[in-house]
Amino acid sequence: MAREKAKFKPPKVTWKQDAKRNWPVYAMYLPAFIMTVVLSYIPMFGIIMAFEDYEVRKGFFGSKWVGLQHFQTLFTGAEFLGALRNTVCIMVIKCTIGFVAPILFAFFLSMLKSKRYKRTVQTCSYLPNFVAAVVVTSLLTEFLAKDGPLTMLLTKFGAENQNWLANDKIPVFWIIYVLMGVWQGIGWGSIMYVASIATVSGDLHEAAAIDGASRLQRMTKITLPCIKPMIVMMFVLNVGLSFAAGYDSILLLYMPSTYNVADTVYTYTYRMAFGGGGNNYGLSAASGLFQSIVSTVLLIGSNALSKKLGDGNSLF
Amino acid sequence: MSLRKKKVDVNDDNRISSMVEHPSVGDRIVDVIVILVCALVAFCSLVPMWHVLMSSLSDGKTLLASSGVAWLPVGDFNLEGYKHIFKDSSILTGYANTVLYTIASTALGFFLAVMSGYAMSRDTKLKGFMIMAMMFPMLFGGGMVPTYMVIRKLGWVGTRWALIIPGCTNAMFMVMMMNAFNSVPKEMYEAARIDGAGHFRTMSQIMLPQAMNLGSVIILNSVVGQWNSWLQASIYVPNKRNLWPLQLFIREITANNENFLQTSNPDYSRYLIRYAVIVAATLPIIVLFPFFQDKLEKGVIAGGVKG
Repeated sequence: MAREKAKFKPPKVTWKQDAKRNWPVYAMYLPAFIMTVVLSYIPMFGIIMAFEDYEVRKGFFGSKWVGLQHFQTLFTGAEFLGALRNTVCIMVIKCTIGFVAPILFAFFLSMLKSKRYKRTVQTCSYLPNFVAAVVVTSLLTEFLAKDGPLTMLLTKFGAENQNWLANDKIPVFWIIYVLMGVWQGIGWGSIMYVASIATVSGDLHEAAAIDGASRLQRMTKITLPCIKPMIVMMFVLNVGLSFAAGYDSILLLYMPSTYNVADTVYTYTYRMAFGGGGNNYGLSAASGLFQSIVSTVLLIGSNALSKKLGDGNSLF
Repeated sequence: MSLRKKKVDVNDDNRISSMVEHPSVGDRIVDVIVILVCALVAFCSLVPMWHVLMSSLSDGKTLLASSGVAWLPVGDFNLEGYKHIFKDSSILTGYANTVLYTIASTALGFFLAVMSGYAMSRDTKLKGFMIMAMMFPMLFGGGMVPTYMVIRKLGWVGTRWALIIPGCTNAMFMVMMMNAFNSVPKEMYEAARIDGAGHFRTMSQIMLPQAMNLGSVIILNSVVGQWNSWLQASIYVPNKRNLWPLQLFIREITANNENFLQTSNPDYSRYLIRYAVIVAATLPIIVLFPFFQDKLEKGVIAGGVKG
């Protein structure tokens, strides 16, 4: 918030004066603060579970200390390493195909001449964003089943008839998952870009048009450079968030036979603690800790990067 | 970001379209392609939901035998699926639970966001600390399991509290609310304070009405998020069916959908339940959404500016 700073310095307020004057403000902050401490800060200390043979009865402090044993298990077993590989690969596809799709869509939208048509298309494209993950995945399961409409369509183009979600060959599940995200988010994700394209000065376009620049040239030579800082910022934010967030729908899509391609760090963490495979809380906490650390590093790194690249814009 | 300063209207593209142009043949072709691609995206967005709606109105046995997208009700039009929903007490329970969780969590979450947002926007000595304390958990978290253990220690596992309370401390909403209060003119605040209004009164009667633009965005986002959430419930109340939200019932129905076929004389209309229940769970949100579209769009832009 760029509010003008006052020229004069206000007289220094002592803690006592501040407490007397502002105690109602602090009182208003208190409920949210207590909740945050209980639900966010105390769990942070719970990461010691990752170094313990955690037993529910004995609690955080009574359980046996096992040091780095869980991490050793994680990084020597094939299961977690596979999950890590899948996470990285899905992340890469998400940050390329999944990132470009809304931008392209925004460009297409901004090229529409009829305002009413544009509005209608936008409204339609927003709808999937409001459909619950459970519903989306159940539809996807139906559409990609052996006799599902999408499978039929693909078969017409020469693909083998199969239940696509049961396919455990390498890029199939990753691409399905990313495309599901694209279907859900293409409209909603384009909002920022449409708004940003609308800020591009009309004078520039007019001048270029008079000089004989075609529509396509104007798009690539004027609009694109103008919204580039915004694209860079969004990209960096996407990368920062995409390690930890957005994998919960996999829990609804994968099956034991596709764990080798569909398991991610997030789902592995969930499965170890709450899935059928016994409540291995220590191992799950270790994998969760790994995930938290990587995503924090990514977020801080991407924030620094966006400060550097996008003329001083940063996320926090 | 420059976006906020310029006060952008999302759909303000009049400048460009009113520009003097002499479209060539190539331009015309581009126009057509653009229109077609946009139509394709809109079509793809709608087809799956249309398929569900039409299937829910179909005849169970014919539907089971047919394949492909149901463009129109397959077989005889009927409402058997919906009748099953109303007969099935568990689905009605799920519906009631979802409504309860959505309202409770949104109300409590909004209350907390307003209170803490106001506190963080005032000039106090602890302002910096208060903001940091809220922002830090957005950056680093203990993770799924430690959070579960804390909630277990509180005795909330297997109760409704686990589904209402954790969802309502959303740091993002608090920071958005802080921004909303920050953008209320300082003079309003000072005038109210000089006239002798206390902090709470200033906040609720003077500041909040002005900050409600972003406030309503928070409410809408929270409603959608809660209505569609299922993961919390699957972690905290996996075995208590009477506490399940609707989404968990949908998950169960879709997973076990074909079990009824194994009985000797299957009731094919049971096949329709999954479609009917999806319609029942999705329709409220989808029907309401277009009315709030503009608000939600502005929320995305405001959230992206500083989020």
